[in-house]
Amino acid sequence: MGRPGLNRRQLLAAAGGLAVAGSFGFAALGTGADALATDARTRVRYWNLFSGGDGANMIAMLDAFRQDNPGIAVKDSTLQWGSPFYTKLAMAAAGNRAPDLGVMHLGRVTGFSPGRLLDPWDVDLLAKYGVRERDFNPALWRRAVIDGKLYALPLDIHVQLCFYRKDVLRKAGLLGADGRMVPVTSPGEWFELLKEARKATKKGLQTLGFWHNDQNFQWWFFVAFYTQLGGTWFDDARTEVTFDTGKATQVLEFLRRHITDGYAHPGFGGQAGAEQFVNGSPFVWEGNWSVPVFESAKLDYGAAPLPPVFGRQATHAESHAFVLPHQAERGGDANDAAHRLAAYVVRHARQWSAGGHIPAYTPTLATEAYRKLSPQNEYVTAMDHQATEPKVWFAGSTGILAQRVGPVVVSSTMGSARPEAAARRMKSTLAELLASKNPMDGRTAAQGGAVA
Amino acid sequence: MTTSAQTVLAPARARTAAESVTVRRRQGFQHGGWFVAPFLVLFALFVIWPLLRGLYLSFTDANISGEGASFVGLDNYREALNDPLVWDSLGHSAYFTLLVVPCITVMAFLLAMLAHHIERGKWLWRLCFFMPFLLPSTVAGNLWQWLFNPGTGMINHVFGLETPWLTDKSYAMLAVVITTLWWTVGFSFLLYLAALQGIPGHLYEAAKLDGANAWHRMAHITLPMLRNVTGLVIALQILASLQVFDQAVVMMDFGPGPEGSTRTFVQYTLEEGFTSYRVGYASAISIIFFVLIAAVALARMWLLRNREEDGR
Repeated sequence: MGRPGLNRRQLLAAAGGLAVAGSFGFAALGTGADALATDARTRVRYWNLFSGGDGANMIAMLDAFRQDNPGIAVKDSTLQWGSPFYTKLAMAAAGNRAPDLGVMHLGRVTGFSPGRLLDPWDVDLLAKYGVRERDFNPALWRRAVIDGKLYALPLDIHVQLCFYRKDVLRKAGLLGADGRMVPVTSPGEWFELLKEARKATKKGLQTLGFWHNDQNFQWWFFVAFYTQLGGTWFDDARTEVTFDTGKATQVLEFLRRHITDGYAHPGFGGQAGAEQFVNGSPFVWEGNWSVPVFESAKLDYGAAPLPPVFGRQATHAESHAFVLPHQAERGGDANDAAHRLAAYVVRHARQWSAGGHIPAYTPTLATEAYRKLSPQNEYVTAMDHQATEPKVWFAGSTGILAQRVGPVVVSSTMGSARPEAAARRMKSTLAELLASKNPMDGRTAAQGGAVA
Repeated sequence: MTTSAQTVLAPARARTAAESVTVRRRQGFQHGGWFVAPFLVLFALFVIWPLLRGLYLSFTDANISGEGASFVGLDNYREALNDPLVWDSLGHSAYFTLLVVPCITVMAFLLAMLAHHIERGKWLWRLCFFMPFLLPSTVAGNLWQWLFNPGTGMINHVFGLETPWLTDKSYAMLAVVITTLWWTVGFSFLLYLAALQGIPGHLYEAAKLDGANAWHRMAHITLPMLRNVTGLVIALQILASLQVFDQAVVMMDFGPGPEGSTRTFVQYTLEEGFTSYRVGYASAISIIFFVLIAAVALARMWLLRNREEDGR
């Protein structure tokens, strides 16, 4: 009577075998599906991190490209913004399964092991598709060049802005004849402006929202005002920290005063700032990506670069840039098509500016259509005075530098550390980071952890 | 199949007791072993192997790309012990645990008593108390992020407060604790409820006859009878709370909270591995964490064993 048991066992084995075979089959499908989908056309796999309004704009530009280039099939994937995106891109490049085209924040490129995880752009090929160095802001282009090679093709810059409610400022008599906020050139003038604006503000609303509890925003604002003061970070050899604690203290005191003088309510940090702005708060400092938000709320508002309170214009800028993730056998039609696609999107970035970003391709900025775009035309000048993080491997949007130094800025703004103590701590953190090794190549910034 | 073959081939030999035990054991594996095999394979693949791999990586300077890792001995561990952020984040996880565990235990007990003794609409109470537990952490986190919104949120509105719940370092962790209480108390509540229902009714009857009032019955019957389940609840909560991560990061928009005050140990490990790309270092600190948690679990087992012996 061994038979039934045997049968059951065989059945189980067969079922188990089927399940295993099935899962392998699915795994094979995962890789094979791509191949099945290709027809005679060249296929470009493109990874980006744009969702929401940016996502819709990007898809519209891709559709336009598809219409103009029927010979190229664009397979775009949108991934979660932030660290997970970079992790996935790094692992794909390391595993030689990278897409043909990707998007990164320009500040992160230096730390992303260019040459190993990223391939350089073929500048001649880009020129063939109509994109040349002279079409870009020189400083922006230089940030994309590492070891003499172009590793990133800037699509835009996105900047921190001072949004203001025209209706409130009009009531307070703070709008100029041109219908824009009256210019300020010193901290004194700026706080005077806030004082006047507060009088015209509805009860229960703060005067300025500025993400006082957010390590990224506070760090970006710090970079902007520190650059206005002419502050530097490291020497050219990347061996010395040249960070000026005096200037830093000045900036930190300036940021802190918004809280102590009651212009920003401690409870209304984060997104509450934008909510308050929509409800009638006169000012909010936000990234330019808030333009579509305030646009859809149908506000009467303007957007200027952060006020040049320390004597000269400078506002924080980061940039979305196209990159070529490393492929062992990069070249051929797919690579050509990746160049063509990137060049096309960069040149047709008028659509992209609807998301508030400033197109990196300067001929776009000179077009009549862009000049009529409001409030974009009010802050387009930010292209010429960008305040950026230092070009080192640990910098870049939401990178290590922001993660380490950002909380120090917040602690000063929130009042749990004194500005001068915070400035000293920032300096020592910068020194630690400068001495630390890039995990990607085991070299410090001074040892050429990828410096241009 | 093999078992029947063995029986056929060796029918004449008289079996010693030891032999028959071996046979039975082997039979046991053949029947039971295959049933647990799928689990064992997955367990080995997704728990044992990553653990061993993590242990190996913790002695290297591996980065996220998986290329060019070299052996660095105990450097990662040395660095971790001197890294203030390791201690900060460990402190935050411990602080969270210290707040959550007693609150959840007491609250789960009270809710279970309530649901057990209320006669009308019993199912509704049980459902209400347990339902939040079924929500994914992202939903719970987002929900409470809105409730805690200083301007438009319900909490400040209802209580007439102006508390900057999520933006001030002295409140941020408290907000995460409150969220966690609401979200996970249902699980412990269910354990208590089941235990309450398992207490034989005649104990109470006998006590009543002897003139014990409600307070005495609670102190001398209910609480002692729940001792085991209390131990279980506390142990499970400690282990779960030490690993706090998801609701905190969701509530803090994937950042470390105001001035890093809600950066937990798990979050710091993740940051080191996937923002700084230092897989080797991240492995080292997660091994340290593993040892700490294992120590807590072992200590609890040891304490419980003593108590069980006392009980006998």
